[in-house]
Amino acid sequence: MEPLKMIEKDIQPMDVHPMNDILRMDRLPHIWCPGCGIGTAVTAFAAGLDKANIDLKKTCIVSGIGCTGRVAGYIKLDSFHTTHGRGIAFATGIKVANPDLKVIVFSGDGDLISIGGNHFIHAARRNVNMLVICINNFIYAMTGGQVAPTTPLAAYATTSPFGCVEPPFNIPYLADSSGAVYVARWTALHVRRLTNSIAEALNKPGFSVIEVISPCAMYYSRINRLGDGLDMMKFYHDNSEIRHGEDTKNLDIGFQTKIIVGKFVDRERPTYMDSYNKWLSGTKKAEK
Amino acid sequence: MNPIITAFVNGIKKSGLELSNIVVVSDIPFEPEVIKEAGVDFFHVTRGRAIAFGTGLKLGNPDLKVVAFIGDLMTLGGNHLVHSGRRNMEMLVICVNNFIYKEIAGTPAPSVSPGFSAFSTFERPFNAPHLANSCGAVYTARWTALHTNELENSIANALDKRGFSVIEVLSPGPNFYKEINQVDSELLDFYYKNSVTKNNEDTRNVEITPEEKIVTGEFTDKEKSPFIDTYNAQLGKILGDKFIPLGGQSGRD
Amino acid sequence: MKANPRDVNTGTYYMDGDVAAGYGALAAGCRFIGGYPITPSTEAAETFARIAPQAGAVFIQMEDELGSIASVMGASWSGVKTMTITSGPGYSLMMEAIGLGAMIEAPFVILNIQRGGPSTGVPTKTGQADMMQARWGSHGDYEVIAIAPDSPQELFDYTIKAFNLSEKYRCPVMIMADECVGHMSEKVVVPPAEEIEIEPRRFYNGPKEKYLPFKPDKDLVPKMVKAGDGYNLYITGLVHDEKGYPIKNQLEKGKRQKLPTRRLVDKIRLNADKIIELTEEGMDDAEVVVVSYGISYRVAIRGIEIARGKGIKVGNLRLITVWPFPDKKISELASKVKAFVVPEINYGQIVFEVERCSHGQANVVLVPHGGAGVHNPEDIAEAIEYAVNEKKKIRKVVEWKTRLEKFVFEGGYKLNK
Repeated sequence: MEPLKMIEKDIQPMDVHPMNDILRMDRLPHIWCPGCGIGTAVTAFAAGLDKANIDLKKTCIVSGIGCTGRVAGYIKLDSFHTTHGRGIAFATGIKVANPDLKVIVFSGDGDLISIGGNHFIHAARRNVNMLVICINNFIYAMTGGQVAPTTPLAAYATTSPFGCVEPPFNIPYLADSSGAVYVARWTALHVRRLTNSIAEALNKPGFSVIEVISPCAMYYSRINRLGDGLDMMKFYHDNSEIRHGEDTKNLDIGFQTKIIVGKFVDRERPTYMDSYNKWLSGTKKAEK
Repeated sequence: MNPIITAFVNGIKKSGLELSNIVVVSDIPFEPEVIKEAGVDFFHVTRGRAIAFGTGLKLGNPDLKVVAFIGDLMTLGGNHLVHSGRRNMEMLVICVNNFIYKEIAGTPAPSVSPGFSAFSTFERPFNAPHLANSCGAVYTARWTALHTNELENSIANALDKRGFSVIEVLSPGPNFYKEINQVDSELLDFYYKNSVTKNNEDTRNVEITPEEKIVTGEFTDKEKSPFIDTYNAQLGKILGDKFIPLGGQSGRD
Repeated sequence: MKANPRDVNTGTYYMDGDVAAGYGALAAGCRFIGGYPITPSTEAAETFARIAPQAGAVFIQMEDELGSIASVMGASWSGVKTMTITSGPGYSLMMEAIGLGAMIEAPFVILNIQRGGPSTGVPTKTGQADMMQARWGSHGDYEVIAIAPDSPQELFDYTIKAFNLSEKYRCPVMIMADECVGHMSEKVVVPPAEEIEIEPRRFYNGPKEKYLPFKPDKDLVPKMVKAGDGYNLYITGLVHDEKGYPIKNQLEKGKRQKLPTRRLVDKIRLNADKIIELTEEGMDDAEVVVVSYGISYRVAIRGIEIARGKGIKVGNLRLITVWPFPDKKISELASKVKAFVVPEINYGQIVFEVERCSHGQANVVLVPHGGAGVHNPEDIAEAIEYAVNEKKKIRKVVEWKTRLEKFVFEGGYKLNK
């Protein structure tokens, strides 16, 4: 059901938030700064969940640590707020132990790609059935603006006070080359497309990655003098280009350069559980 | 002696580098005799941490030539591999891949090493050259342990590169330590015969699958500013004379 | 040896403890920090990143703490002084490497600004619950040195001392500060370089062929060389002989005595008297001694004042060096005093060391705190009062019920037996 329609079904529309079914209203207000894009991504996620028509009782959301790590705590699913970087590993455990569950990992770039980079590439390699939503705000925001593996070259951060000297990861390319079956990138401005993408990926078997470029008004924008959240949104509006099916190796993001968005990879590969079941049934036959 | 290490020692000789400047970091222990013969410095560190340890060595003394041997198939150390590739940390990584596939090229492979359960092989392996390439490695190659000559040349070439280089070596059993001479030659031979060399092949096409032959060769060879150069350039630009660059006359004690 | 003037930002500052630690590290001659952001220690890394390039030092933010600590050990063996900066969860990730650091005798410093735990716990609030982890975190037998500073000035001074100790004894040295100290802003005086004493790395100068990387000097600490200087090093985390070669058969005749683990332990234990630094006050006629460290020490001072106001004779013992533990000192005191009172921000860690060393001669009272804050000095004063009036010998650690504990567990929970 569309979020707006939810209002109609309730007796007293003003009393109930349209996302009452999906958000933990008792935990609001949230911790995110004004101008942050995570809230927008959460809204898109909530709408996407609704659209995907999946059993919410059988859906888990796992987060790591960081600003985006707090997402799990605001979503009315079975939520797990785990240790730094271990979201995907935790989710792998959930999925493999109980394949009936739908698992979503919602976390940030530092958490998923830096400290959790190994789990990220290995889960993609195994093709564990889960959706990873990676908010990329180019910085470690929760700890106060440190350089991240996604910080563009020459951008400033508190631990790179003279400009970042490490080329950033191209997350879709990393996901693609490790074996993800669904890879998309949107900005926090592309709410409708992001919603559709989330709904689509939720019904896709295998390891799916959606990168969401999000403004960090408090740290990334402030340190680099890029204005506030709205200025960043305007920047996305003017500088993002939708190119579906683009070769993932062309998706590098430089400092304030063009951002290519779209759905880049959508392919079929046997998932971890499929290979597991096939292999084990094959072996049993061979033993007989 | 294990063919990879022989090839490595010969590769160093071919590259003409100063031996005492080379530091080998490995998460698998080498025989002391080998290191003595090679005349290099050797560090055996905890599993998976060879690349990270090497990063410290390189930044502590930028004049060193660091070679990391990974025996764990990027399991624990995968993250260090991808991030060092991204930074383009100047280092040669020799990734010893002893994967076991039940069937390659439609033929059942010779029996797997004892201790490996037949159940453990349903996971798809990494396409290591592609992963390294997509993270930004400047040089990637794959050889089997029997491609001695090619491997030697490859190692010499990679040591000449300034940047993050990865060479995957397919070899049965990473057991350098204990019974070095008892390499399963039958399996090795099998890898060798079922491989086809395609230099400069797009790394996307070199995945090892049961259906096709193993693609070997030098896949990536590009130029990219290594980490220390990028660091010196960026900080020099911002700090000017106040900056003391890494490497060379760096004023380090 | 004196510090290099280029490394010392002489002056009087008003700064927080983390920043002071960053200044201290550079002043001590640190040339490499591999770190990873984690509250509440990040400011130390940020400070070092800002001041390092002008001194030829480098800060690299690694991909995780596992990488940080491994790179720190690598840099250490490449011949420079190194440190890493972390807090609770990151510290947990580093445990494996501390064992390797002890085994390959790489000198390095870990700055741990402790926060409330376990797990993610309370990132922005204080704790002192990593003390035992510092000592026993990695598997196997080894000894480390741990220092607990109590002010930003001390974070500057003792960071330098930590580097000196690590170079002298070639072992991991931990600075176990806590969030309160790390985030506390106070006056910090950075003295001129010629007033800062630093310990140079103990380099080997003899003939290359005769160098044995693990052959100890008289104080049981071996000399070091740099990687890449042609010494053909073989350094391993396996049990090794003096050459560094793995001992395949650990019971091989003749080699058994040379197992390095004995020396790894002894080089600290036998030098403990030289390493340990304590402050004591009011011990002469003390009936009760308060043993504390870090921020708890500063809180305890007030508690002791209150108790003294009531006429109780209280001694104040501060552990600046927590590991190695001052066994002798505590045993000596135990025979003279009625009781020890140990306030710490955990549910009992160092208190059990105090109990061990008192050998049942004195009562031991723990003033616990669950973290995310510091003690109420009144609680410490009341615990002192209780300890001095207790006539019985109690053969276990007494846990004092503080106000906070009473408040949190009002009514208490009953365990089903």
